[in-house]
Amino acid sequence: MGSIRVGRAQAKPDTPGHVSGMHQGNQGRYQDQTGHHRDGTSDARRSTGIHWKRHDALVDAMPNISPG
Amino acid sequence: MTTTEARATERKPPQIVDMSWDPITRIIGNLGIYTKIDFANREVVECHSTSSLFRGYSVFMKGKDPRDAGFITSRICGICGDNHTTCSDYAQQMAYGVKPPMLAEHIVNLGEAAEYMFDHTIFQDNLVFVDFCEAMVKATNPGVLARAERTAAPRGDIHGYRTIADIMRAFNPFEGEIYKEALKVSRVTREMFCLMEGRHVHPSTLYPGGVGTMPQPTAFTDYLSRLMRIIDFIKKAVALNDDVFDFFYEALPGYEEVGRRRVLLGCWGAFQDPKVVDYRYETMNTWGKAMYVTPGIVVDGELVTNNLVDINLGLRIMLGSSFYEDWVNEDPFVTRDPLGNPVDMRHPWNQTTVPVPQKRDFDGNYSWVMSPRWLDPRTGDHLALDTGGGPLARLWSTALSGIVDTPYVKATGDSVRISLPKGESLPETTLEWRIPKWSNTIERDRARPYFVAYAAAMSLQFLEEAMGLVRSGDTKVFENYEVPDEAIGCGFHEAVRGVLSHHLVIKDKKIANYHPYPPTPWNASPRDMYGTPGPYEDAVQGQPIFEENGPDDFKGVDIMRTVRSFDPCLPCGVHMYVGKGKTLTTMHSPTYGASHG
Repeated sequence: MGSIRVGRAQAKPDTPGHVSGMHQGNQGRYQDQTGHHRDGTSDARRSTGIHWKRHDALVDAMPNISPG
Repeated sequence: MTTTEARATERKPPQIVDMSWDPITRIIGNLGIYTKIDFANREVVECHSTSSLFRGYSVFMKGKDPRDAGFITSRICGICGDNHTTCSDYAQQMAYGVKPPMLAEHIVNLGEAAEYMFDHTIFQDNLVFVDFCEAMVKATNPGVLARAERTAAPRGDIHGYRTIADIMRAFNPFEGEIYKEALKVSRVTREMFCLMEGRHVHPSTLYPGGVGTMPQPTAFTDYLSRLMRIIDFIKKAVALNDDVFDFFYEALPGYEEVGRRRVLLGCWGAFQDPKVVDYRYETMNTWGKAMYVTPGIVVDGELVTNNLVDINLGLRIMLGSSFYEDWVNEDPFVTRDPLGNPVDMRHPWNQTTVPVPQKRDFDGNYSWVMSPRWLDPRTGDHLALDTGGGPLARLWSTALSGIVDTPYVKATGDSVRISLPKGESLPETTLEWRIPKWSNTIERDRARPYFVAYAAAMSLQFLEEAMGLVRSGDTKVFENYEVPDEAIGCGFHEAVRGVLSHHLVIKDKKIANYHPYPPTPWNASPRDMYGTPGPYEDAVQGQPIFEENGPDDFKGVDIMRTVRSFDPCLPCGVHMYVGKGKTLTTMHSPTYGASHG
């Protein structure tokens, strides 16, 4: 810092970024969240609604895509 | 010297008066312009641009987790923070060796396009136009206003104003129609931004490796419906800007000399092509040229290079008039780039910021801004590049390269053609921005609405491609990565007002060196060690004065127009200052309870 006067550091940078045992977002929750695939794609089961975990698109003619 | 040559005219005995504006209003940060004006010959003789703000991002980034860099550097600016996040993510992606999924790139591009539309509109219509409004012109050039009353607006069928004076009245702050409509438009464009990046101006959903935006069809259709609401406003903005600026050339012959400098423009490129970009340094020239705004350095109207590697290696951070100690005797961080090219000690990768606060002295050191320059390999000159406020350099470089060829935007070699679809009231329109004869105040201001149109046209393409991916079920928006022990990275992007680069060195998984170089250090730089003035100084120095007022009621509107045409934004200009006697309170709320505090 050259000859400039600076104060005492106020941050404690060793506060843990992660506590072991806690879920980490990047690992995904593929068993619990039907409709999200490991390759990053997703389908209509991502939607909420009746028995959403089981349903893809209701009719074959409908695109099996993520809901809006 | 790489400055603009002075014009030879008949001279009267000089009558020199010191005039200064510090701080300049309607910009962000502390910029001071100190001039000597010769009222007898009606021109500016000397100009110094100075900043009294020191911040020190490059000092306190050291030792931090590199993954935090995007969130911290976003706070550099309160208006283009997302440009910093994006650029930091680009640099980090190079360092980590990760390429985000296609959809993530589209989302970033859409967010950035909305930012350009928002920021250019609010700056142009609410801040720049104040210098061209009826009230200002009446106070500075009453003759021009009288002529404007008599001059019909040539593009009145598009924008709906009959005379030039009618347009100027609509520019009047707080009451003019255009001023008020622009505020509404900047709200809509900010909503578009938030759909993609979560929050304006410090994005909450941009990370290295991808985005956290939920790629639902509605995110894109909401964006599209807002875009279509403002598309007519953009067409009108281009038309009325052209009318007003053409009128200034006509009413004040010689106005092209105001703010004119040698054409020395730099553009670092924007909007990555998701199909090409892989963020590897080795292939940077290829994916740099594939960007939808082509990077390039334009000197005297000629394209010197559009290779990002050449642009990167030519960067030099000079001292000369800045409040810092030199770092040339420190140890370098990077001696060779990943291709084996030598990296100079004055390159941002090797820079060490050592601030030395001192008194301002216009014959010695007078600014906290350093002097970034680009070493021209052909001549060995250190060029004081400017950004032309952003749009001028972007359009110029894209037009000259002639690479961009998309359904809505096409670069022809000497112009850029932008097609906008039918809106609520105006039909489908093709706008053409042609390379101007000068790099001056009016052309910098004129390029701005054209670039808003450019961003709107590109976002239509990004929307179509993004919705195609969502329809095919490809909704992946994040790619995982590991932080390496040692790595280097650089990111090149365009902040709203011009070039933006972030240079990063990682050692032991921590930041060893980090240097953001935003547009304003380029534009507002002071004289370097070779005595070359920075772009503001160069543009203002020697410019004629058209204002009719004398030294007693002088407003300096011509000088202010020139400085504001660069879209100055000083918070990024210098790299925390707590005033005397201010107490900081430390609050810490640990996520998992006090035991972790």
